[in-house]
Amino acid sequence: MPIIPVAGSEEFANQPVTADETRRLLAGKIALHSVAPDLVEGLDPLTYEVIRHRLTSITEEMGEALKKMSGSVVVTDCNDFDAAIMDEVGDVVQVGLYNTELAASLDMAANWTLRNRVDSPGIAPGDMFLCNDPWVGGGLHQSDVSLFAPLFHEGELFAWTGAVAHQVDLGGVSPGSWSVGATDVFWESVPTPPVKIVDGGVIRKDVEDVYLRRSRVPKLVALDLRAKIGANNVAHERLRALIARYGADTVKAVMRRTMDDAERRLRAKLLEIPDGTWSAVAHQDSARAGDDGVYKIVLTLSKTGDRLTFDFTGTDPQVEGLINCTYAGLRGGIMPILLTTLCGDIPWAPGGIYRCLDIISEPGTINNCTFPAGIGKASVASAWATQNVVTECLAGLLDTHVEHRQRLMSVCCGTWDFALLAGVDQRGGGFVTMLCDSMAGGLGARTDSDGVDTGGLACIPMGRIADSEMNEFAFPMLYLWRREEADSGGPGRHRGGVGASSCFIPWDSPIGGVHLVVSAPGKALPLATGISGGMPAGTQYDVLVRNSLVQDLFAQGRIPRSIDELGGDEQLVPTHHETDLGPTDVYFTHWQGGGGYGDPLLREPELVAADVLARKVSPAAAAQVYGVVLDGHATVDHIATNETRNRLRHDRAGIEEGVAR
Amino acid sequence: MTYVIGIDIGGTFTDAFVADESGRVAAAKTPSTPPDFAHGFLQVVDDLADSLGIPTRSLLEQTDYIVHGTTTTLNALVTGDVARVGFLTTAGHADSITIMNLEGRYAGLGADKIQDMVRTNKPQPLVPPHLIHEIDERVDYKGTVVVRLDEAATRESVRALLAEGVEAFAVSFLWSFLNPVHEQRAREIIQEEAPGRYVALSSDVSPRIREFSRSVTTIMNTQVGPRLRAYLEPLEASLRDRGLRGSLLVMQGSGGCVTAEDAPARAITTIGSVLTGGVVGCTRLADELGHRNVISTDMGGTTFLTGLVVDGEPVSSTSTVLNQYQVNVPMVDVHTIGAGGGAIAWVDAGGNLHVGPRSAGARPGPACYGEGGTEPTVTDVDLVLGIVNPDNFLGGKKKLHRHLAEEAIRVKIAEPLGMSVESAAAAVYAIQNAQTADLVRKVVVTSGRDPRDFVLYAFGGAGPMHCAAYAADLEVQQVVVPLGTAAAVFSAYGLAASDIALTAEMSQPSNFPPAADEFTGVFEELDRELDARLAAQELKFASVIHNREVDMRYTMQLAEVTTPVLEEVPDLPGMDRLAAQFGDQYERLYGKGAGFADAGLQLITYRTRAIGVLPIRPRLNEASRSPEPPAPGSHRQVLLDPLTGWEEAAIYDYTALARDHEIPGPAVVEAPTTTVAIPRGCRAVVDRLGNLVIHYASN
Repeated sequence: MPIIPVAGSEEFANQPVTADETRRLLAGKIALHSVAPDLVEGLDPLTYEVIRHRLTSITEEMGEALKKMSGSVVVTDCNDFDAAIMDEVGDVVQVGLYNTELAASLDMAANWTLRNRVDSPGIAPGDMFLCNDPWVGGGLHQSDVSLFAPLFHEGELFAWTGAVAHQVDLGGVSPGSWSVGATDVFWESVPTPPVKIVDGGVIRKDVEDVYLRRSRVPKLVALDLRAKIGANNVAHERLRALIARYGADTVKAVMRRTMDDAERRLRAKLLEIPDGTWSAVAHQDSARAGDDGVYKIVLTLSKTGDRLTFDFTGTDPQVEGLINCTYAGLRGGIMPILLTTLCGDIPWAPGGIYRCLDIISEPGTINNCTFPAGIGKASVASAWATQNVVTECLAGLLDTHVEHRQRLMSVCCGTWDFALLAGVDQRGGGFVTMLCDSMAGGLGARTDSDGVDTGGLACIPMGRIADSEMNEFAFPMLYLWRREEADSGGPGRHRGGVGASSCFIPWDSPIGGVHLVVSAPGKALPLATGISGGMPAGTQYDVLVRNSLVQDLFAQGRIPRSIDELGGDEQLVPTHHETDLGPTDVYFTHWQGGGGYGDPLLREPELVAADVLARKVSPAAAAQVYGVVLDGHATVDHIATNETRNRLRHDRAGIEEGVAR
Repeated sequence: MTYVIGIDIGGTFTDAFVADESGRVAAAKTPSTPPDFAHGFLQVVDDLADSLGIPTRSLLEQTDYIVHGTTTTLNALVTGDVARVGFLTTAGHADSITIMNLEGRYAGLGADKIQDMVRTNKPQPLVPPHLIHEIDERVDYKGTVVVRLDEAATRESVRALLAEGVEAFAVSFLWSFLNPVHEQRAREIIQEEAPGRYVALSSDVSPRIREFSRSVTTIMNTQVGPRLRAYLEPLEASLRDRGLRGSLLVMQGSGGCVTAEDAPARAITTIGSVLTGGVVGCTRLADELGHRNVISTDMGGTTFLTGLVVDGEPVSSTSTVLNQYQVNVPMVDVHTIGAGGGAIAWVDAGGNLHVGPRSAGARPGPACYGEGGTEPTVTDVDLVLGIVNPDNFLGGKKKLHRHLAEEAIRVKIAEPLGMSVESAAAAVYAIQNAQTADLVRKVVVTSGRDPRDFVLYAFGGAGPMHCAAYAADLEVQQVVVPLGTAAAVFSAYGLAASDIALTAEMSQPSNFPPAADEFTGVFEELDRELDARLAAQELKFASVIHNREVDMRYTMQLAEVTTPVLEEVPDLPGMDRLAAQFGDQYERLYGKGAGFADAGLQLITYRTRAIGVLPIRPRLNEASRSPEPPAPGSHRQVLLDPLTGWEEAAIYDYTALARDHEIPGPAVVEAPTTTVAIPRGCRAVVDRLGNLVIHYASN
């Protein structure tokens, strides 16, 4: 069925609104606290630094509180959450070092709430608003639920705090809210625009029930709601103490200056870099189960003076499927990469950083879609692909500057390898869980060093995976292996970090097997591109083996080390798939590494030899891709290596050796 | 006469403290002698004997035991000078120690480093790939053997590793803590192939669930075990030669010690050996002073360490991070929260003033050392503000150059910000103190407590210059600056006053409550192990205490919370009480309503800590009284608060003070090892043991 426009949905098609415009719209409706610019300029270095440091520790405390109270592995183990402090109109002053994709549009959600909830139901002290409508903001897909809370001081709205986390299941056709067959949003979890769920400090039971009723694991979701309330409470308590000590104006002046400082320093850095234009294309294979189309996101990045323009003209129209993302997702594709590559040494104050960029994007495209396009997978589909083009363009930009180039990374792990397990666990309880092993993706190569092997994902500075034993204890599964995979890192003068694979069988479930939902693109073409002649990382590769010989092998005292040893029927798993695993079925999932940097033929041969010894590169790739010839003990044959490299260069140029150029 | 001795070897100094049964105490301090630290050890024993006025032989012959804090194992790991280890692990999981759950890329790093994500890296692999062999064998989550151990392949691997020249073997198989049969058989095979070779099994060293940390702990233990043995054996022999009849004990990170003979097998437990002395010292002093809850802050020249004492016991955790690896060792929690006096003040590209986390270290050190440092540090600021007397730094041991400090502040801070040198210095002092308060607060709050319930102890060369300010920010009840007999050798005092502590643990994860016989069975097994190890220490104990605890969690939640087990054989209502206790503890840590009781509970790990209480408890000397009131030796201008500005402060010589003397701020007290700043509005009182106690006007 085609995507049919829905009248009334434009109310939720949110776009960022400036602070001045917000004030104008709200005049007479709510008192907004503000400070005069001269107070901001006049802050002494001592007061600024003391309060700034305290704001940072408040954000950290929010993150700690949320993480400790949450019940979902995606939060507690994988850090798929974030927390932020915002000013009175929602501009983000300080974002936590967790999943920065999530916090990239908290400002839009808080600001929309101001403009659309001020009359009814009103915004008052002790209120908190819940939102999982990515058209409004606050998250990238419906699974990201944000909770933001206004902080009042002497009758004025002083600031907002917000916490956002991925929830394991909020309904929709498939478990995990990952409806792989979705053609539009109605297959998916219901988007909820900002709703007052905490009223004057008390949870509204009716609203909470409306929220929880949709979930397959309502109690878990209820706990996470409390975790977010706790995080906001911690922040409010600490901010109030800060205001009591230094005065509201001074604290606000520091918040303003933090954003101004980030803006000023990013502009200063941009001025040091030559002007120019860079472009990149990212692809996604398959929009939903049964679809084998390829969809592209196109970015042209221009840097002029101290401004960046992200122009997505040429990007494909939105599609029938679950891979689209809204404008919030588009921003979620930009901000994390800006933070890690351009702002490694600049305060993470998106409110200031956004002022340095323009975004050009056509509504109705795959990364700026309109209601009711499917967005169940937005965070790791079109938002992620947006990150990939942003990474590639920013790498090109940074590479022009002798000092700043040390903070470029080639594209990291090209996609999220989604595998969801559901069923009955070994103790007889129902369960739904996302297998988070693939958080250990390879990072992109740098200009002076290799990418970090199994080092994580670009948007989550502090990712984490659970031990195999913890997964086997918690879920009815048994690993055959979990290992780094040779040649999964993009070849280059500096190699991209390798990705890894997990291979497991259902184990000890009382119903004999587990339900599996797979959604992992990058199978038809590589996604983690290289930079400056570096090659892309390998593709995503998932295999399902039915009726394997694994039990026989176990009985013979043997642990299989490859798919070939498993016997049975080997099936290549398509990008989107939903099925059941039986007791003799094996699931193998191999996620991606990072892209390479520079020509692999320029890599030090000794480093290639060391990679072969460490099983990061296969002997075949050493010879064919790096042109390095090794003897049986992985010692470099320099003469043969030179010859091979010369031959490979001639092959590339399409000319024969010895022929005059 | 019977003596006990504590000896603490740090990178710079070797400290010693001795007490006899009558309560007489003495202290000594000598430079450390790397790389042969034993030399300084023997020297300081001679010094102790001198200060008691008896020959070394006579002292050692009458010594019941020596407790030693050593950096041997930590140094070996930090410098990488470790034994060549071969590692055997379950097929399919060799990469666990390189994948590092991915958190190895940032574990233990500060927020500034984590934010600079592009520049983060994992540490070097613990074991090079060719020294890791995967073995066909498998046990599942119930402890059931799924695949038998391939003995022939194990033997081949051992031979191959021996041919590669490995000195020691580490073995860590999946689920071995539930069923160690394969690891034990592997050890037999190693011993058949290489008799006498050092072997460590993960099911012995760290029988705890989560294979990554268990393997890392086992490997690191294997890397340092042979090194610790090589250090302790000759040291003990030298002490015996000199007359020692009693025991040589080694402090562990847990705050309790083991015999030198037992230590190498569990070498990894000694990595916190020197760090914990200070907290243990605090615990003993707190006991003397009747303080139940203490925040210990140790601000030295290059580090700022903080730890907590709650209800009279140091706060511990069950693991620590070392070189970005998560290691399973029960440790007194000592948090490094800053760079101490060496923290560098700097102006960032946006014109904002920061202090730390970068440090000038020991070389070149602060600008005022005159050893080539050009960046202004906290120590330079302390000097410019008049707090430190340039002629009396570290008791006059180091001459400071005020003009170099001023120059560094002028060039790097004052001019870029358009401030005077003095206001720049005052700003740095205030930022440093506020930041310290933030960081200490975080340590206290994340342990589930409120700083207002604590007394703060401040030691280290630089701590007392700042403590009144950061403690005020924390709203603690009062501040104690230890200045009595033990002040200069505080850690050594802590060592001499410690007990034997052994820990045994085992993961046996299950839904809660487990079967009663399983619960008591596991604890009985742990008791048997501990009793045998305590007997092997060959010491007379005043008493033996067994403390049982379990690590529990709400199903699905990340963090296990350690919960004390108060009942020997809990019946069903007893199990409910245990669950309730876990719930209380959980809420204290994570907030009211945080517990997800609906998910059910799981019990993951059982642990027992056996404490053999040693018979001699050193008492500190009482300070003398004086009929005279305290008299300042001089006056000088100091700046302790940017809002107040410069003011005249009375300067006191600590050695001229007596018990109950009271000093109103603003004042500075110069002691041999440190300088204490007492701001306006505070008063300091000399307590009965000679410590300075700072009170705030409001209390």
